[in-house]
Amino acid sequence: MKKLNFILAALLGLGLNYTNAQTQKGSVLIKNATVLTVTKGNLENTDVLVQDGIIKQVGKNISAPSGVQTIDASGKYLMPGIIDAHSHVALDVVNEASAPIVAEVRMKDVVNPFEIGIYRALAGGVTISHAMHGSANVVGGQNATLKHRWGAKDPADIIMQDAPRTIKFALGENPTRVHGRGNNIQPRTRMGVEAVLRNGFNEALQYKKEWANYNAAKSQKGNTATPPVYNERLQTLADILDGKIIIHCHSYRADEIYMLINVAKDFGITKLVFQHTNEGFKVAPEIAEYTMGASVFADWWAYKMEVYYSTAFNAAILQRNGAITSINSDSAELIRHLYHEAAKTQRYGGLTDDEALAMITINPAKQLGIDDKVGSIEVGKQADLVIFEGHPLSSYTVPQMTFVDGVKYFDIKSDPDDQRQFVSATEMVEPIFLRTEEDHQCMQDVDAYFEAFQGAFLEEKH
Amino acid sequence: MKKQFLKAGIVGLLLSGFLSSTVWSQSDPTGKRRISDTYAITNATIFAGPGQQGTKGTIVFREGVILGMGANLSIPKEAQVIMGDSLFIYPGFIDGAGTMGITKPKDPERPKDFVSSNPPDEIAGITPWRSATDQFAITGNQVDDWRKTGFTLSQVLPEGGMIPGRATLMVLGNSSSVNVLVENTGIAATFSGSRSMYPATAVGVMAKFRDVYQNTSLALDHSKLFASTSGIKRPEMTPTQTAMAAVVQGQLPILFRAESDLEVRRAISLQKELGFKLILTGLENYENVIDLIKSSGTPVLIKLEIPDDKAVKNQKDEDVTEATKAQYARVKEAYEKALKQASLLEKAGIPFGFSTADTKPGDAMKAIRTMIQNGLSEKAAMAALTTNPASILGISRLAGTIEKGKMANLVISTDSIFKEDAQIKHVVADGFIFDYEVKKKSSNANGKTEGGPSPITGVWEYTSETPAGSSGGEITIAKTGSEYSGTITYDDPSGAGKVSAPIKNVALNGKTLTFQFDVNAGGMSLTVDISGEINGNEMEGTMAIAQFGSFPLTAKLSSPSKKH
Amino acid sequence: MNRILKTFCAAMLALFPVAAMAQIDGEFVKPRTGKFLLQNATVVTVTKGTLTNTSVLVENGKIAQVGANLSADGAEVIDCFGMFIYPGMIDSGTRLGLVEVSSVPETVDYAEIGSVTPNMQALTTVNPNSEAIGVTRVSGVTTVLTVPTGGLFPGTAALINLNGYTPDQMYGGFKAIVMNFPSSGRRGRFDRRSDEDVKKDAEKALKEANEIWDNAKKYLELKTAGAELQYYPEMDQLSKAVSGELPLLIVVDAASDIQNAIKWVEGKDIKVIFSGVAEGWRVADEIAKAGIPVITGPVQDLPTRQSDRYDTPYANAGKMAKAGVKVALRTDEEENVRNLPFHAAFAAAYGLGKEEALKAITINPAEIFGIADEYGSIEAGKRANLVISTGDPLETSSQIHHVFIDGYRIPMSNRHIRLYQEFLERSPGLKAN
Repeated sequence: MKKLNFILAALLGLGLNYTNAQTQKGSVLIKNATVLTVTKGNLENTDVLVQDGIIKQVGKNISAPSGVQTIDASGKYLMPGIIDAHSHVALDVVNEASAPIVAEVRMKDVVNPFEIGIYRALAGGVTISHAMHGSANVVGGQNATLKHRWGAKDPADIIMQDAPRTIKFALGENPTRVHGRGNNIQPRTRMGVEAVLRNGFNEALQYKKEWANYNAAKSQKGNTATPPVYNERLQTLADILDGKIIIHCHSYRADEIYMLINVAKDFGITKLVFQHTNEGFKVAPEIAEYTMGASVFADWWAYKMEVYYSTAFNAAILQRNGAITSINSDSAELIRHLYHEAAKTQRYGGLTDDEALAMITINPAKQLGIDDKVGSIEVGKQADLVIFEGHPLSSYTVPQMTFVDGVKYFDIKSDPDDQRQFVSATEMVEPIFLRTEEDHQCMQDVDAYFEAFQGAFLEEKH
Repeated sequence: MKKQFLKAGIVGLLLSGFLSSTVWSQSDPTGKRRISDTYAITNATIFAGPGQQGTKGTIVFREGVILGMGANLSIPKEAQVIMGDSLFIYPGFIDGAGTMGITKPKDPERPKDFVSSNPPDEIAGITPWRSATDQFAITGNQVDDWRKTGFTLSQVLPEGGMIPGRATLMVLGNSSSVNVLVENTGIAATFSGSRSMYPATAVGVMAKFRDVYQNTSLALDHSKLFASTSGIKRPEMTPTQTAMAAVVQGQLPILFRAESDLEVRRAISLQKELGFKLILTGLENYENVIDLIKSSGTPVLIKLEIPDDKAVKNQKDEDVTEATKAQYARVKEAYEKALKQASLLEKAGIPFGFSTADTKPGDAMKAIRTMIQNGLSEKAAMAALTTNPASILGISRLAGTIEKGKMANLVISTDSIFKEDAQIKHVVADGFIFDYEVKKKSSNANGKTEGGPSPITGVWEYTSETPAGSSGGEITIAKTGSEYSGTITYDDPSGAGKVSAPIKNVALNGKTLTFQFDVNAGGMSLTVDISGEINGNEMEGTMAIAQFGSFPLTAKLSSPSKKH
Repeated sequence: MNRILKTFCAAMLALFPVAAMAQIDGEFVKPRTGKFLLQNATVVTVTKGTLTNTSVLVENGKIAQVGANLSADGAEVIDCFGMFIYPGMIDSGTRLGLVEVSSVPETVDYAEIGSVTPNMQALTTVNPNSEAIGVTRVSGVTTVLTVPTGGLFPGTAALINLNGYTPDQMYGGFKAIVMNFPSSGRRGRFDRRSDEDVKKDAEKALKEANEIWDNAKKYLELKTAGAELQYYPEMDQLSKAVSGELPLLIVVDAASDIQNAIKWVEGKDIKVIFSGVAEGWRVADEIAKAGIPVITGPVQDLPTRQSDRYDTPYANAGKMAKAGVKVALRTDEEENVRNLPFHAAFAAAYGLGKEEALKAITINPAEIFGIADEYGSIEAGKRANLVISTGDPLETSSQIHHVFIDGYRIPMSNRHIRLYQEFLERSPGLKAN
């Protein structure tokens, strides 16, 4: 019976959740801030009381319960913790590039809480990041939603355990290059990408049926049915079909975005978010109507063919067409100033402050399925908060303090230089990385994968 | 099983040219057969187990079994007597997880219809059916070197990919014996992906491990049903599933190599999820997970190694900025913490053993001494070398202490074993005596032996044997002051004839010459490690290329340089 | 300006973004020159203070006059009430025009084969019709240094204005020979060399650089002496740096490399500019003492070391400026050179200050390049490179309404804007077929 439980547990997608992570929850009273709630307007000279990691009160003249520290934020801005819907920070491995579908792979398995990028993100006000599998596969691995509890030693402590499951998909150049051109298997074209998706989902349906038949027969007397092969890859695809997992799909061109919308429709999938989505603006009405929106770069374009016909007005067009739109980083560098990336929607399309701020708070929260818990300053939500000197959408703003669950993890006033959690005992001189290639990580680890037998594809990223 | 026993022994048997005179009607024309397999070591100081006081006495053993020990023991007439006066006797050391004597099997050929996204298990590094026994040879230098360090038993692990295969408990005895003590003691596993195919990375390995495990479990269900009911489709157990069955059934542990704290967590999380027996091997950084190791009750075999101190030693005080000093302090702190880790395990009450895999025998005692200097008690150090691994491997009845009825595995040293000056004079493994030269400490230490350093300067001609065939070239070594330098010629990997490269880190330690050089192969810079034992003007050793393994190398000093 | 008011303005403008940004109506608008009066603006001259209610007269490609109550005689009047006029911004290190799509090798023209190729001319290669040029200039970046990359002496960089149809029309009057100073940094996570090897490789590379430099010196000596030398284009070009005819743009980042570069320059009678200088803050005093001007950036970049404070790249320019180094900024970008003002804003917020940050993308590079008589500020007689915006162009909320380059009024359109116009309200919208 024990064995059966294990299988059941695996089928239900329980991974590392065995640990009852003891995460820290804090209490704090932030006084006299200009509170940018994102969902409930802006409140001048307002206090926010946090107790045990939860926002308990938002109002004027709140006094601190005993033992609760007060922070004077007069003249400063308080906004919800920034959420990055596309990151690869804090992952030891990004790409299991070796097969067109690797849905069975779990990024939760390789979360690294020591990565300095977490602290740097906190210093930019980012409290939650969506640690994604890379884009080498049509269906990549399952992602991890992280809470930036810097200093945690156990990966389980930075995994947002109450976030729903999400999975990485990728269309276009990357999967066709890796598999078609690199390995001579489908897909080599965008036609092949669609075929791989449809094949995968149809196989998943068969798989689900086989197991249903087996499970029904198993308990019958005189059963002669034998267990089907266990396949977590197909099981995960079946979970997508059952609406248990949100798809986050790396995509650029309008045609491929439209293709996936149609595939999703055909298979009854509604939980679908597009990532990068550089040509999302061309199919903005469809994205708005049929999906959970798009998570885009503020202004990246032209680094490869499929982003050549881009526009920095993408986010604004999507927003104006009613699509849920977020701005993401996909970069250990950009993640440090997402507030500024969001502000670019004012230069390119004149979005309002609330619209711009929503793109890095409540909108990504919606796309990650956590908007009931985070993404705005509202009573009852988790107290992920950032204090800024200057309006967060100003180019001159400087983040001052960042809180996750009411615990302060970044304070510019007490910010010791060397924040490394792990120091090598044998490294003579700390390595210096100049204009590091680690910046853009969507194709990370693919290089190593190819260097073993191909040696190609070393330059291309995202 | 029997067949594999034979395989392990057969090399030794052939080499010794002697099986049994009654069978082959042969005497022993080599004159090397031992006269008696009964021995007595007299009047030594015996430390029967970790933490025990030394007692003066005699140990008698026969056919590899301790007959008795004590002060007034009568010595059998047929016993060969070794005078143990002034010597210290300890239980033979046990290596919890090693790769000594293991040769990695050749990669199988890829089938014509090979697809990298779905490779056959054998090619993808999933070979749980392979046995370390088949890969083990007791005759190589490695086993000698480890035995010389005091190791008499080793759980050897096969080499390979994510599931390399079954471990074997070997006694490091005579090469003419069958040395397998227990076959199939566990199945080794690692987080190493196969890079160019599925699973390529650690995250793929974890997913694939679950897949292998779950399907083995289902295959067992299927077999059970097949055995009890008629009309059932025939089960098709794959070799992988057949080999993994014992793990799923809880009979065999997985020996997971987990070097860092994160890998320890990953292995334990898989264990919690799937429910197999787990032993962790090769731990290097584990300070953060001591509580987890303790609470999960996972046996651990830590790497018998300490970080090298080059980085710490090279820190200069003068001429550096405050920022650099702060950085130095952190490296130093990390170094010191690393040395203390073992003592923290002891404090937490975790009975750990050691893994020798990927460590150097010559540095082992220094590593243990350093751990002791950093808070590990001598008792715990001795337990980690003897009783703890015996218990983890389930052989406490046979080994770990010096007791009547246990295996005659002993370490005999000139002084209290953890003292800097202590030298191992004899090792008894499986009742066979191995004698070692004890060097008198010269006043100018530095590894110089009585006879002075071997002359190594001049031009050596060498040949190496690699899977690619035999190749060779010249090594030229010169000495200026106390530093050696030189060049080596080798076959250019691109096939462009011989090329020459400078050699670096040349060191002569006693008779052991070590140096390195860099080869540029296809844009990748590889460091080659050469290590050899010098005998007169000949050298025998290995050439190791990171990731690719280690290959035999012999060299001859063809034109020694004139006296320097 | 009050934040709320500003946001309101931005929102209002957003209602008419098309009208605000391009005066087109389905027709192609060309850049055109003539006589323009930019009336009643706040003029941020950079060198002569900020002048309110001031007009700027543009004529013959130059700033003819700056002042109140200028005569509109014969000029096209552009009402700039409530708006700000800034000098065109200068990005002192880009690959603009040398690449179209970086993952398509056929469109990548900034890195030639060979280590010593100073004779490779960026200017010749600039594609005046690169989409990125149109995308960049409407942000107010009017002038960029475009720089070849690659080996030790990868080529000759050139300053270009972002308007024109031939390299000669675009040329901004400054060239420099690029030197990638031998680096002791790692090239990325794949670079697994040992510490010693990194150091040795750098030493070896420096030795080689010296040999090449000496070669160029000899070439110059013999040539000056009138010797007839064999055709040797590399030395011919490099000798121009030796003689001081062209400045040497030394790309150097790691602290120890900067120190070595300072030593290397000592005693050489040449014009030197440092570029990159990511770890300049570690050795700022030494750079200041050596009197070498610095082009640093990108500002929005990761720290070079794991142990560094998260904001070291933001703060780098400010720290060097405080130490007395003359600092200009670069993005080191291709398609996103338009972010130059935002890089400057980050440098401003983290220690450089707004005024110095603006100088670092206007007058400082003009002075460093020796072209301050024509560029870098709003003064009569200088080239008419101008930006007219609703506010501080370093703020994302500001809208750039007009850009002048060399007196040409630049159409405020490019592919990004045209796609916006086409797709903001797509027709047909959401419906089948």
